[in-house]
Amino acid sequence: MAQIDQFESAFKSASKTLYEHAEVEIASVLVVTDLATAKAEAYAGRIRGFLETLGDDVSWRTVLGEEYGSAEALLPLVEQANPDLVVTYRNLHTTSWRFPHSLGSCVNVLTQVSRPPVLLVPHPLAGRELDHALQNTDRVMCVAGHLTGDHGLVNHGAYFTCPGGTLFLAHVEDDTVFERYMETISKIPEIDTKVARETIAEQLLKEPVDYIESCRAVLREAGVDLTVEDVVTRGHLVSTYRDFVQEYELDLLVLHTKDEDQLAMHGLAYPLTVELRAIPLLLL
Amino acid sequence: MEAVMEAEHAVPLGVTALFAALLCALILCLALEEKLHAKKSIIVGCFAVVSLLLATYLGGPDGLLPFGAVLVGGHEIQMPVYIPAIDWGVIAIILGSSLFVDVTAKSGLFTWIAIRLTKASGGDPLKLLWCYGIMTVVFSAVLNNVTAMIIVGALTAVSLGKLGRNDKLLGFLLIEGLLTNVGGLLTLISSVPNIIVGRAAGISFVEFFVNASPFVVVTTVVTILMGARLFDVRRLATDEERDQARKQVAGFDENDGIESRGFFWFGTVMTGFFILVIATTSALPGISNLGMGFVALSFAVIMLVRFKAEVDQFYKALDWDLLAFFAGLFIVINVMEHARVLDLIGKGLEKVIAMGDVAGTGAVLISAAVFSSVTDNIPLAAILAKILGNLGTPSDSALWWSVVFGANLGGNLTPIGSASTLVAVTIMHKHKLPMSFAAFVKAAIPFAGIQLALATGYVLLFLR
Repeated sequence: MAQIDQFESAFKSASKTLYEHAEVEIASVLVVTDLATAKAEAYAGRIRGFLETLGDDVSWRTVLGEEYGSAEALLPLVEQANPDLVVTYRNLHTTSWRFPHSLGSCVNVLTQVSRPPVLLVPHPLAGRELDHALQNTDRVMCVAGHLTGDHGLVNHGAYFTCPGGTLFLAHVEDDTVFERYMETISKIPEIDTKVARETIAEQLLKEPVDYIESCRAVLREAGVDLTVEDVVTRGHLVSTYRDFVQEYELDLLVLHTKDEDQLAMHGLAYPLTVELRAIPLLLL
Repeated sequence: MEAVMEAEHAVPLGVTALFAALLCALILCLALEEKLHAKKSIIVGCFAVVSLLLATYLGGPDGLLPFGAVLVGGHEIQMPVYIPAIDWGVIAIILGSSLFVDVTAKSGLFTWIAIRLTKASGGDPLKLLWCYGIMTVVFSAVLNNVTAMIIVGALTAVSLGKLGRNDKLLGFLLIEGLLTNVGGLLTLISSVPNIIVGRAAGISFVEFFVNASPFVVVTTVVTILMGARLFDVRRLATDEERDQARKQVAGFDENDGIESRGFFWFGTVMTGFFILVIATTSALPGISNLGMGFVALSFAVIMLVRFKAEVDQFYKALDWDLLAFFAGLFIVINVMEHARVLDLIGKGLEKVIAMGDVAGTGAVLISAAVFSSVTDNIPLAAILAKILGNLGTPSDSALWWSVVFGANLGGNLTPIGSASTLVAVTIMHKHKLPMSFAAFVKAAIPFAGIQLALATGYVLLFLR
């Protein structure tokens, strides 16, 4: 019965996922470098300035280049330090940073194996960072393939945003996938192509917008001092996020890299992590 | 003996018997609608065609039907013999009400009410059962049983899914399905049998409501209490559970379906106004002559103005099968009347009525319920209303109420007894819940038994 389905759809649409706020706690940070003592400490100092929002009570430790030579040797160091956050950069102990096509084995393994999130910052020697990068975190963007219900991502985004800063909650629907489905629908006589295009596009974007609205309300209620902006659109995923970095002058991008169903990095995370080298990325 | 009976019949007894067999065949086909894979309108349409042809060629040189001009307001008008056979007042009420409800639903009013009640329950299963039960009764009374079941059933499936209580879905849907037929007793326009019998008996909207509402209230409470017990629907035990459930239902946004706040309020006001005018139609000078059908159609037209460029969408969504079914059914009944089949049934009914004030009235109610449990209650109501009218039954007779209560509540005995219980079973099947014909009867019998016992007692004690 079509009417049953119509009303079920109406009620499902009205059933929204509400954001659940929880405080993120970061008491210790491990900065992993492949540098010698002086340069490593200088770099760690820069990171401390960038992460001023974490407060003064955080304990910091820096891993020097001489302490390890491979991912195999790095992992026990991280495990032993048991930090709440690991800060590092791509292509540790190699010169591959000259080519923006990989992460290096240490980061690759670290993001998938280590429990704490990894803050991936621009390489100290590569010179690819934007002018505003590593200054502060007053413009943070959360990135997800499916933002709705991803409370952890938003909680981390909110935590890393400076007081008075702006938290951008982004949801980009993959245009290529959308067009592929629309192309298929256009060949099915029983489905009105125009109606399908309009309503599916609208519904796809409505869910994240509703969720972001809930994030805004809950964060305001929790007294978190920041502005929530929604960036919900359709487009080519990697290029759209690359444009966002420039357009919104982002200081930090927050995204998931772990995927329960696979050992490799989560779908969108790998290309973004490889390509977006001009600003820090927080990899959960 | 046969000669005496022939003399009583202006129509040969053999012809009457043939048409009686045709009527039985129609009822049987309607009962087997699902097996035949045919819509009601087609079944009754075929019988209407055959009945008209037989009535034209049988029964002497002039046939059985009163061909010729029809006298309307003192003017002779030529029209096909089957046109005046249709009760256009009933068709107008159903057409107007359906359009009005469909357009008003677009305002988001009904989903708003449904979600507000869900949130008011705090997600507690027992409170939810009470809220949805009462909502089913009220929606069935104001809208129609099928629409009420669709709205409440759809919401039940979504909300219980959200609350992780899918194990209770079958019980909820069954109770709601049974309550649609209880709610269908609340007002004169709540169900088609009410409209047909009410019009035939000359019962006003207010009179109907005053007589039926105490029974509806008591039966609703009894049904929900029984349902909660039989399906083990309980209150949440701990504060933690209650808090969790409250958070889950808080995610429902009652404003999601409201596209225009102005139209929402317009729909709300118009619904209240519609009920008020329908309730007072018989007391409004001028309007009382135009009837409830006019009121329903007028309100539908006013609501449709909002969608003036796309009214065809609402016309498409109308239940044309139901409307064509009515038209065909009235034609068949009219032919049966001319073939003296209704007289024949009336004689049988007279014998039942003659059993006495108590036994006769009770027997009519129970037999109407049993009959409507296996086939559509609309033909039953139409035939019995016609017969009671022909017998000169006064409008304050309890027999009318026996037909109304029996025809409505009989639908609760089987899944095919009423369209709304069929919708409930459809939703169960949609959610992969096993519910066979026999399983439904087994689950519904205790409820239907109590309801029919209450109805019989109520009619005999208070309406006789």
